[in-house]
Amino acid sequence: MLQVLVNGLVLGAVYALIALGLTMVFSIMRVVNFAHGQMYMLGGFVVYYLYGEFGLPFWVALPAAAVALAVVGVAFNRFFFQPVLASAAREENSMLMAVGTALLLENLALAFFGEKERGVPPIVDGSFIVGDVSENGAILTYPNALVALLSILFITALLAFVRFTRPGRALRAVAQDAEAARLQGVDVKATTTLGFAIGAALAGLAGGLLVTIYGINSGVGTNISTKAFIMIMVGGAGVTSGAIVGGALLGFAEAIGYEMLPGSVTYLLIFVAMIVFLVFRPNGLFGKPWG
Amino acid sequence: MSAPILEARSVTRRFGGLVANEDVSLALHAPAGQVVSVIGPNGAGKSTFFKMLSGYLKPSSGRVLLHGQDITGMPPHRIARLGLVRTFQETTIFPDLTALEHVSLAHQLHREATDIEVLLGAPRARGDEIRLGESAREILELMELSSSADTAARHLPQGLLRLLGIAMGLAARPQVLLLDEPYAGLNPEETQRAVAITRRIAASGVSVLLVEHDMKAVMAISDRIHVLHFGRKIAEGTPQEIRDDPKVIEAYLGQEDEELGL
Amino acid sequence: MRTLKTRDAAVAVAMLALLAVAPVAIGGSRYMLSVLMNCAGLSLVAAGVWITFTIGRINICQAGFALIGAYTTAILMARYGVSYWIALPASALVAAALGALIGSFILKLRGIYFSMLTICLTEAIRLAFLNGGDFTQGSRGITGLQQPFATDSALPMYYLAVALLAVGLVVTWRVHDSRVGRIFHAMRLNEALAESFGTDVWRYRVVAFGIACALGGLGGSYFAVFTQSVYPQSFTVEHSIYYMLYCFLGGLDYVSGAMVGAFALTILFELLSRFQQYQTLVYGVMMIAVILLLPNGVMAIRAAARPSRA
Repeated sequence: MLQVLVNGLVLGAVYALIALGLTMVFSIMRVVNFAHGQMYMLGGFVVYYLYGEFGLPFWVALPAAAVALAVVGVAFNRFFFQPVLASAAREENSMLMAVGTALLLENLALAFFGEKERGVPPIVDGSFIVGDVSENGAILTYPNALVALLSILFITALLAFVRFTRPGRALRAVAQDAEAARLQGVDVKATTTLGFAIGAALAGLAGGLLVTIYGINSGVGTNISTKAFIMIMVGGAGVTSGAIVGGALLGFAEAIGYEMLPGSVTYLLIFVAMIVFLVFRPNGLFGKPWG
Repeated sequence: MSAPILEARSVTRRFGGLVANEDVSLALHAPAGQVVSVIGPNGAGKSTFFKMLSGYLKPSSGRVLLHGQDITGMPPHRIARLGLVRTFQETTIFPDLTALEHVSLAHQLHREATDIEVLLGAPRARGDEIRLGESAREILELMELSSSADTAARHLPQGLLRLLGIAMGLAARPQVLLLDEPYAGLNPEETQRAVAITRRIAASGVSVLLVEHDMKAVMAISDRIHVLHFGRKIAEGTPQEIRDDPKVIEAYLGQEDEELGL
Repeated sequence: MRTLKTRDAAVAVAMLALLAVAPVAIGGSRYMLSVLMNCAGLSLVAAGVWITFTIGRINICQAGFALIGAYTTAILMARYGVSYWIALPASALVAAALGALIGSFILKLRGIYFSMLTICLTEAIRLAFLNGGDFTQGSRGITGLQQPFATDSALPMYYLAVALLAVGLVVTWRVHDSRVGRIFHAMRLNEALAESFGTDVWRYRVVAFGIACALGGLGGSYFAVFTQSVYPQSFTVEHSIYYMLYCFLGGLDYVSGAMVGAFALTILFELLSRFQQYQTLVYGVMMIAVILLLPNGVMAIRAAARPSRA
């Protein structure tokens, strides 16, 4: 039982990080970044190459992943999304573009990285042992603990950034009402770019963190995106509380499920539960109606 | 004494802390074909009240009855089927359909063919289209819109779109027609025409309940007027009675003079 | 509007005619025939997604219903020895029934919530078949399905594909061009207004979705005997996304849009095979280019300069 709790906490922390990135982009641009999972995947590969292959320290590789994905985010926003949002032929076109970028990134990764699963050496060795493992105790490996801690750190940093800094407040203003923000003198275009960059960077960070535990391969994008969608739908899109709660809920659900049920049945049940939940709460726990 | 055609009993609607309508009661009695208006200053809750009558909002408490049948909280399409149809305040239309297509489509409740027959292109479905198309033409004529029959709605001016909205309401063959600000934004000549058309509609046996700001039109056309203020009903009576009612005059004091036209 | 409809019908008829005579033109090339069969099957499945667009929903779960159709056919044939000619319509019906059932709950969601949910639904259906125990044979899948024609020639299966595609086109056309289709259009543009004259919006959404899923199931059934197998991963989220892309890129205002998109993109992909391992990458890049340059889809090129904006 305790092990499930520990696993749930670790997963919940990282999943919340993933969900926050997705909800950030959604709140700013009203577009679901379908490529979020692929950006996670790229972050994992950056860390794989820098830390795993070239031997750079982890505390260099991880920020590099964030920066790399931020650059990708800025580029995608500038060259793909802004043109589509400007021409606005049908409102679904931005979604189409999001899907297109996801396919592009995935195919790019497949072409250059191949299909093989990759892993990196663990950053630290050892574990905490709580209680008696044979009897309801729990093991928390140092790598898992580090990942959870860093995730919580990044989440806190993000929340502080959004709350206390000027660009952060601009993000909140644009998320609430872009037109009103523009009238108040906010540079909406720059803020949008920042929002997308942060969202992408968060995905990259999550990928860079989890590659140290689970490894990475070119195909995980869809899987991660699907999980991000579940968190956003259940927690509520466009609100940070929704992302965090959604992340925590999914983390625990997964931990409990994998403990008690055979492999893939866990997610089958999670999907069914989610669909039933959405019938009663179509906007998730904290979300506002959209679409 | 038979049941009123339409009745609202102590209808209340709250939005969180805000009370949009409180304890509003209204009855439309026989004979059919009367014109009843609901007026009040801005924010009086007229629109919210209308939405509750037609099923677009559920009352927080109270009942709505149509011919004695409780329709409180029923979805709009069911209420339409039972004979109460609402038109819209905004000029909501289907931009690429012609006026005729709009009205023909709005005959949806009066098809004889089932959907399957429609999909198969069965004779009964084709017969429907002819029959309903003719009915649509008649309604367009009643609304003086015949010349616009084949014009796409996106090319019609606002005044005609208002009439089109009413035409669609008529296509559903209601017993009670709720007109939501039918004369808003019309110039005096258009208003006069619309008022005459409203009279014709009422004369054909359709009871009309309307929400309006244009006081001149309201006084000209109503058989009875109900006045809302801050969500409550403050007065009810004939146009003459309402004109002289001190409570009504006080409620409107402080409004722009041009709005009144009393 | 008239010119759009004429162009639409002309394209549909022309494509079917071309497909009918194609085997003569391409000699006996099995490869090319199978590409066309693949395109036809994809068009059929994508037509279902197209129908869902008309009620204002972006449907990314069609792969799930193709999978349901494929498994229905596979199980009926392999387990119960049912003839394909019964399994085929049965698959469409099962997919339609499940679609109507699930749709009755989820269609109230809109926009991005609906789309994300359909992605999850596709995964859920895959997982359901993966964990179906003996009945679905899990990850092993069901293989060795017999094609319904006892001949070596690819032609009967080819013409079956074309016939099914024609059925899909006719169904889609009838749905779109009838009072029912106009009601769908009305619901999409202004639900409140449609309700005001008596439209039971919920019911029509379920009907639309049921028909869409039926086409998905029909296509899935075809693919099951075309590839003679079905696995849980025969139809994935990625496939769902491609069906949606075919509709977008072919043109959402044209009934033949799903077909045009499916043929254009699939053939384009085949033509890129010279790029070998970069094939998918070049494909992805071209896709983005098309999205940027042709926001209304391929069919809208050279259309009259009257935007049919809603």
